[in-house]
Amino acid sequence: MKLGQTISLALRTLIRNPLRSFLMMLGVAIGIASLTAMASIGEATQQETIRQFKRMVGTYDLVSIVPGAASTRGMPSLTTVEPSLKFDDATAIAEEADGVLQVAEVQNAFDIDVKYRDKTTVSAVYGVSANWLEMREYFLETGDVITQDDIASLARIAVIGQDIVTGLFPDEDPMGKQIRIGNVPFAVKGILVSRGAGPGGGSLDGVLFIPVTTASKRLFQRDYLTTITAQLSDPGRPGPSIESITTILRERHGIVPPGEDDFTISDSRASAEQVEEVSSTLATILTGVAIIAMIIGGTVIMSLMLIAVSERRREIGVRRAVGATRTDVMLQFLIEAATVSVVGGLLGITLGIGGATITAMQQELPPVLLWDTIGFAVCVSVGIGLIFGLQPAWKAANIDPIDALQS
Amino acid sequence: MIAVENLEKTYRRGDGTPVMALKNVSFTIGEGEFVTVRGASGSGKSSLLNILGCLDTPTSGVYRLAGEDVSNYTDEQRSHLRCRRIGFVFQSFNLLSRTTALENVEVPALYSGERIEEGKAAALLERVGLAERGGHFVTELSGGEQQRVAIARALMNDPPLLLADEPTGNLDSEAGHSIMELLGELSNEGRTIILVTHDEAVAEFAQRELIIRDGLIASDTLRTAKPPASEKTGS
Ligand SMILES: Nc1ncnc2c1ncn2[C@@H]1O[C@H](COP(=O)(O)OP(=O)(O)OP(=O)(O)O)[C@@H](O)[C@H]1O
Ligand SMILES: [Mg+2]
Repeated sequence: MKLGQTISLALRTLIRNPLRSFLMMLGVAIGIASLTAMASIGEATQQETIRQFKRMVGTYDLVSIVPGAASTRGMPSLTTVEPSLKFDDATAIAEEADGVLQVAEVQNAFDIDVKYRDKTTVSAVYGVSANWLEMREYFLETGDVITQDDIASLARIAVIGQDIVTGLFPDEDPMGKQIRIGNVPFAVKGILVSRGAGPGGGSLDGVLFIPVTTASKRLFQRDYLTTITAQLSDPGRPGPSIESITTILRERHGIVPPGEDDFTISDSRASAEQVEEVSSTLATILTGVAIIAMIIGGTVIMSLMLIAVSERRREIGVRRAVGATRTDVMLQFLIEAATVSVVGGLLGITLGIGGATITAMQQELPPVLLWDTIGFAVCVSVGIGLIFGLQPAWKAANIDPIDALQS
Repeated sequence: MIAVENLEKTYRRGDGTPVMALKNVSFTIGEGEFVTVRGASGSGKSSLLNILGCLDTPTSGVYRLAGEDVSNYTDEQRSHLRCRRIGFVFQSFNLLSRTTALENVEVPALYSGERIEEGKAAALLERVGLAERGGHFVTELSGGEQQRVAIARALMNDPPLLLADEPTGNLDSEAGHSIMELLGELSNEGRTIILVTHDEAVAEFAQRELIIRDGLIASDTLRTAKPPASEKTGS
């Protein structure tokens, strides 16, 4: 029996048993719909997480150098941070390190009281060099950025995040107003565009930027930095630059291996990879759920096919009597199962994409159409049909024609 | 065409006790003969026909079909023989439901491995007097018409041998009579026909009659003046 004939026979049989065919398709359709939807939503979530992560750590071409050995490093704060990174270190890296485009200086502290008139809010305060906001892709809603002049003149100006705006200026325009950061007065020079929530769900807007020189001399009275961020010219190969920076800092700090470094260089890609790993674990779990759904769909096909085989004993007997071999009968039922499964699968893909698109719209995720998922779903449907059709087909092939023709 | 020697068929009941349905059956049937097999219920007629039709294998003995010893053929080999050499007609018609008359006739062609000849099934329907009914579903046909469709189906792959197990058993006498006339015509065209029946009237259409009793051939007689196409042997 030729494949084309077998498929057309299968289609004819399915059309002439509409209720049974519909139920079989439904089983697969639900499984495939959940697979497609889950994969699309999983992918969208992953892409969104990575996007948010980039927004948080900055672009991938940045490496940050923080004080303290990797083993002892915690969250930098003014009280616990090691005073090992100096302004001169940053200058030296900018001038001497290989493959470094520019260097930003940061001196920051968390949980600083910020006041305006009778209102108080708590914020992270970053003393930063003039290039920082651009390097980290912060955009201004209004006002101006921190300039080289502000750095040189130790200006008491601040660029504030949206949380500070809501906390201190619920019904006032903050521009030009005087706020007090730890009792030092600053003028609001610019307001940042909101960055929304980070991967953990927390706000990224509870920040406040001031010139790093002002922070050092007028606010924190510290001559060391909490972070030096270097932008690399070749982010694909951060190794040589990191080595070069390490050599410069060791030399300047008089460290000779095996002595422990008093700084740690971290490449943001490593953390980004972790995030991707977490997201792909999520995708794996979702896919697992979908696979379970498909096993259920397959089981529906199998049970209904088994019933069909019993009901169609006489047909099987006739086909065997007029010359069908066991293989012919087996193939007929397998192809029937595969055909119904594929049709169900196509239905499921349509439903799944529809569902994913609606979910994406509700969750404000970017919509993704995954061609490889669709291809995979089609293959999976064929597979479900063939695998779960196997036992019914085997049963059909082994029906004794003499038995089947009596009755 | 057909030669059986010392054919035996023993079934095992559910409890393991053996039932000898055929005991030492021997005969030959020549090409073009129209033979009826008659006997009481349970005498072994269907058992014999199933073996002759390669649906079943004998417990012992030899079955030669067109000179080939097919007694020990595999299931697949027997399927191929059934496909090309043998046409079946059953008491209960055994047409596929939810399928048109024409599609039913075409079924054997699916398994012959050859291209389905355009118009062949329709020509066969015409041959059995159902030219107009090809597009009808089986349930829309009378019993006599259904049996005609079944005969057309049996002819689809042009088998030299037709086997019929009580083909008129489910029909009223008029319809039965016309089915027997049709089979008589096919016999005259040179096809070998073996027909199992209870009914003496039916047996009169054939030239030769085997009577089977308790799994043995009790008699083997020529019924009409019309000579069979080939020689015969008694048991
Ligand atoms: N599959 C089987 N298992 C056990 N015994 C069987 C089987 N098939 C037939 N028999 C027995 O073999 C004997 C012959 O049966 P067979 O069907 O050949 O008779 P028959 O002449 O065709 O009868 P009928 O006129 O009722 O159709 C009977 O005793 C029957 O019970
Ligand atoms: Mg019988």
